[in-house]
Amino acid sequence: MWRKAILLSLREKRVFVVFTLIYTTLIFLTSFFIDLGIDGNFGEMAWNFVLIFFGTSLFLSMLYAWILVSRKRRIWATFKCIGYTNKNILSLVSGMIFFTTLVGFFIVIEVLFHYAAIIAYVNQTDLNIALLILVDLVPVVVTSGIFIGVQIVAFILAYRKVLKVRPIIALKKVGE
Amino acid sequence: MSEKDIMIDAIDVNKEYRRAGAIIRALADVNLKIRSGEFVIIQGPTGCGKSTLLNVLSGLDLPDSGRIIFDGENIARATEDRLSRLRRQKIGFVFQDFNLVNTLTAIENVESVLWPTVLRQKEIENRAIAALRDVDLLDRKDHFPVQMSGGEQQRCAIARAIIHRPRVILADEPSGNLDPQSEKEVMGLLKKINKEMETTILVVTHRDLSSYGDKTINMDNGKITKIK
Repeated sequence: MWRKAILLSLREKRVFVVFTLIYTTLIFLTSFFIDLGIDGNFGEMAWNFVLIFFGTSLFLSMLYAWILVSRKRRIWATFKCIGYTNKNILSLVSGMIFFTTLVGFFIVIEVLFHYAAIIAYVNQTDLNIALLILVDLVPVVVTSGIFIGVQIVAFILAYRKVLKVRPIIALKKVGE
Repeated sequence: MSEKDIMIDAIDVNKEYRRAGAIIRALADVNLKIRSGEFVIIQGPTGCGKSTLLNVLSGLDLPDSGRIIFDGENIARATEDRLSRLRRQKIGFVFQDFNLVNTLTAIENVESVLWPTVLRQKEIENRAIAALRDVDLLDRKDHFPVQMSGGEQQRCAIARAIIHRPRVILADEPSGNLDPQSEKEVMGLLKKINKEMETTILVVTHRDLSSYGDKTINMDNGKITKIK
């Protein structure tokens, strides 16, 4: 079912691209501020920003879950008619949310690698290793881990909404 | 008719709805026996209770009272998970609006029925190809629903309904959104499936499609008025 969740995510191009970009930005900013907080460069403010970003990620996950279940109620209702259980549908929805975050994580890592490569390329004669690393790997991994953890709330919300989708909706005529 | 031959047995089924404060009796003491392999047309005017009957016979809705014996099992009080399994194993659905997933190709739509099963992807694909071949739509397998005509979309939906070789196909106004030529094709296809696969077929319609059925049930005001 996870592979099918990925397939459904990729086919939902617009929603997938928008949420992936938002997640990417959030993961980058959160890990950047965690990095600043650990270094003590930005004082208390850094941690306040980190908290705001985690709150935003929670809101975002819930919004994504709501969009996936509510906007596609007819599809989930049809799937229920053809024999899907609530758990089957939740696997698809949570897989779609999880995959989006994972892609955001990989994009951030990729961007950081490219940043390091470009800086190294431009400053070949005066190479300082500290210059190469914009954000350490650890804050990025920790941030992504926490973002995925936060999504459990979204999964619970999605499950409650999936339970409410009655298969009978699929039999209603469009516009009825 | 022996008990073994009966696929669906509805006994004293009642169903009421409350709409805008008024109680509407959608099904009133309905008794119905459908034999295995029968092609049954349920017809009647809008609001006569035929769709409600289809819903309760398939376990999509529960009757207020009465029993529904589906292939030997009383489903009127079955759990939601049990009903899901029953639908996955024994029932295929065909909808008036086709209800295909627009972001999936024809073959992926057909395969989607078997995604939650333990079958390997190759086996699922083989079955989907066979189902699409049965409905003569194999050449359109990589097309998305928007790239197909109404008749083709309904044939794709029929392929989705037969991929798991169900005992019963329930079709709710399957030709309601089709032109007369496509209606002929779709109904002919259901007839072919009924004959070749010995699948029991129930078609709910407000049109006169009695020429396709072995049995025609007329409904009005929640009651069966005539069985022919």
